[in-house]
Amino acid sequence: MDGKRLLGIVLAITGLSLLLVAAATAAPSAQRGGTVVVDMTTDVDYIDPQLSYYGETWKLEGATACKLFNWPDKEGTAGAVATPEVAAGLPLVSKDGKTYTFTIRKGFRFSNGRPVSAKSFADAFNRFANPRMQSTGVQFLDIVKGAQAVINGDSGSISGVKASGSKLVVQLTKASPDFLARTTMPFLQAIDPTLAGQIDANGINQYASCGPYYFSSRTPGRSITLKRNPYYKGSRAANPDTIQVNVGNDVAVAFQNVEKGTTDYASGGIPATEWKNVTTKYGLNKKDGRVQVRPLLDVRYIALNHARPLFKDNPQLAKAVNWVVDRQAFSAQGGYLFGKRTGQILPPGMLGYKPQGIYPLRVTANTIKQAKKLAEGNLRGGKAVLWSSNAGFAPLQAQLIQYNLKQIGIDAEVKLLPRAQQFTNAGNPKTADFDLTIERWGADYADPYDWVNILLDGTQVTHPQHNNYAYFNVAKYNREMTAASLLTGPSRGAAYAALDGTMMRNDPPWAPLVNSNDRVFLSSKVGCLTINEAQGSGPLLNVICVK
Amino acid sequence: MLNYLIRRLLWAGVLFVGVTLITYVLFFLLPADPARLAAGKSATAEDVARVSHQLGLDRPVHEQYALFLKRLVVDHSLGRSYANRRTVNEMVGQAIPVTAALVLGGAILWMLIALPIGILSALRPRSLLDRGAMIFILIGISAPVVWIGLLLQYFVGFKWGLTPNAGYCDVFDPPAGSTCGGPSDWASHMILPWLTFAILFAASYARMIRANVLDTLGEDYVRTARAKGAPENVVIRRHVLRNALLPVVTMLGLDIGVALGGAIFTEAIFNLPGLGRLALNSVLNLDLPTMQGVVVFATLAIILLNLVVDVVYAYIDPRIRLA
Repeated sequence: MDGKRLLGIVLAITGLSLLLVAAATAAPSAQRGGTVVVDMTTDVDYIDPQLSYYGETWKLEGATACKLFNWPDKEGTAGAVATPEVAAGLPLVSKDGKTYTFTIRKGFRFSNGRPVSAKSFADAFNRFANPRMQSTGVQFLDIVKGAQAVINGDSGSISGVKASGSKLVVQLTKASPDFLARTTMPFLQAIDPTLAGQIDANGINQYASCGPYYFSSRTPGRSITLKRNPYYKGSRAANPDTIQVNVGNDVAVAFQNVEKGTTDYASGGIPATEWKNVTTKYGLNKKDGRVQVRPLLDVRYIALNHARPLFKDNPQLAKAVNWVVDRQAFSAQGGYLFGKRTGQILPPGMLGYKPQGIYPLRVTANTIKQAKKLAEGNLRGGKAVLWSSNAGFAPLQAQLIQYNLKQIGIDAEVKLLPRAQQFTNAGNPKTADFDLTIERWGADYADPYDWVNILLDGTQVTHPQHNNYAYFNVAKYNREMTAASLLTGPSRGAAYAALDGTMMRNDPPWAPLVNSNDRVFLSSKVGCLTINEAQGSGPLLNVICVK
Repeated sequence: MLNYLIRRLLWAGVLFVGVTLITYVLFFLLPADPARLAAGKSATAEDVARVSHQLGLDRPVHEQYALFLKRLVVDHSLGRSYANRRTVNEMVGQAIPVTAALVLGGAILWMLIALPIGILSALRPRSLLDRGAMIFILIGISAPVVWIGLLLQYFVGFKWGLTPNAGYCDVFDPPAGSTCGGPSDWASHMILPWLTFAILFAASYARMIRANVLDTLGEDYVRTARAKGAPENVVIRRHVLRNALLPVVTMLGLDIGVALGGAIFTEAIFNLPGLGRLALNSVLNLDLPTMQGVVVFATLAIILLNLVVDVVYAYIDPRIRLA
């Protein structure tokens, strides 16, 4: 072998080795494996699927549950369409829209190796309705035939839910186009036979689940650990080996921990004043970057109490409030990138959302002039009581609204209340002695029914407890809301969009202020980010990976 | 002595009923509905009524209180939390060791700081040491615990990384899912809370000790001891400190009793799962059983420690008559 040839071989081997080394180092390091650490400010309520109702728990259950229909692990509009997960395609729906027949896909297994069947879902419906579970979400079963009898303790199982082999048949009391969206709620995830037999109102803290992960342990008030489901064969990602949740650190500590890298994600957020700093330092929405911001399915608004003299049959004053509130300043109290100003009921991303452009999102001398004109002669004494939460930056926001109201001649007395007290009293006609209350709503599931009907249907305002804090009760709109809830597809969206525009234009029940953002701050170790607001705030924990 | 003890115990019973009754009444005076909170945000009127019945909140207040007392005395049960339905006995039981560790560790630390500062500054009044000690005392008394805690957490825990900035580790048998445990982890997580907790008390105790020692140094029996030629260390140890520290024993017992009821700020800053944080969360969640559980424990702690202080006081000071 001559020198040139030898040199050529050596160079080729060296080059090949360098290529291999380069390939190995350039490859995304550790897409799978490792531990993702999450700091949670407050503890979850339960991890029991039929009891948990906190957004934080649902986020975790997003990684552990398998459901008939689910929101895909994708960002944007692709992630906002409920698609079959364990259901093998779309269900067969009877002509009257009341009977849904699902076929269960094979291959899904619980973390104890047992297969998922149609009965696993029927068990979930029955355990959910069981009065001995005392589940607080059972109102979502109001459309399921026979559920109320079980809730009332008159029957042992729901007559409208039948499982046979791979077929699950669910009968409804009325056609409800949002039923498939309701099946995405963790309450109705498949449950293992062992859990189905555990009827305990105190909740179960360890159980087998059929999603990519399962809860391997929970110490209330301290920690929650999720491990990968070894039997999971579905298409969803299961990147980290372990998801470790530490409970109780406040936002300042969580921020420090993420900065240091001892925590990967601060699920309760960071101090409001830090958002600007971290965005400047790390950039915004870079691919796998440390600071991510996405719009939430959420609204902060002022409910204008239509049951009290100030706003009762006084649409001009309600419009004046919408013209005068300084949405920009309100948002600024929450820190950088707090949210997007809004002057309408439905949030972006929700079916039926259409920019209405009725009210100004920025206050100028002209908008104040217009507000004063609308308020003139409609002040009815000009005294008002404004309720607000006493926590965080809410008092500052209340002061701001007080100032805005003063600009149109309303002298508002601010009452600061603990949050729990504020909304429980606002929803009770006997204790709702406010004219305006600053409120917030986040969707249980991404459908306008859970927004417009739940928050503004006037038929509920005489009940001792409800969510229609505006006490908005107009027969015409009540009828239109019911009619919209029965529609499907684009006509459903169009009907809700029309309602949004008409109500806000003619007789605003609220002064909508801001659609909050989901602001996410992550450690430098984190990659593979997917944020899907239909599944709740923050990155999808099963998809996230540790570099 | 026996009569005294019986009388104290009877008063303790009256105090206990009074405190728990006041808590109950105050809770029901709050214009808020815990059933509504427990029923979830989309609950209908029927759901709220059902939850109210399940929690027993649809009964008259006096019935609820009687039931609470019966359950406590007969079943030794504090009931279940409205917020998460865990037994309050378990929740309080898990929180007690954390608060006890904080308070007792803090008490040892504050006495270790306060004793030498108080005694030395009294023995050398108006010296540089005394003036330095006064500055420490002023800062310790004036600075809010929250501020001290946050500063220590930010600089010592976060910026300099000398200790963990927050969290708690169990000394023995850490629960499943814990990322730390054992004596060294426990101690390293407790250093900053102990310091935070100790600074305020150390300052006020140092001031108290200094004043007591100064007072005692002027007593006739001290002058007599010195005149009789007793060595200075004997005078200080036997005649001055023994008398000057009597009120400190009283204060220590009372302060430990109160602190055991929950060091809310320190526990909240450092995320210690103790009674203070439990009390705070229960107030925010309108969770009466848990709130009542903390009150019961705090009341018992204060009553018991008061009793202990009285007995110890009588023992160490023969001038005190218990009759």
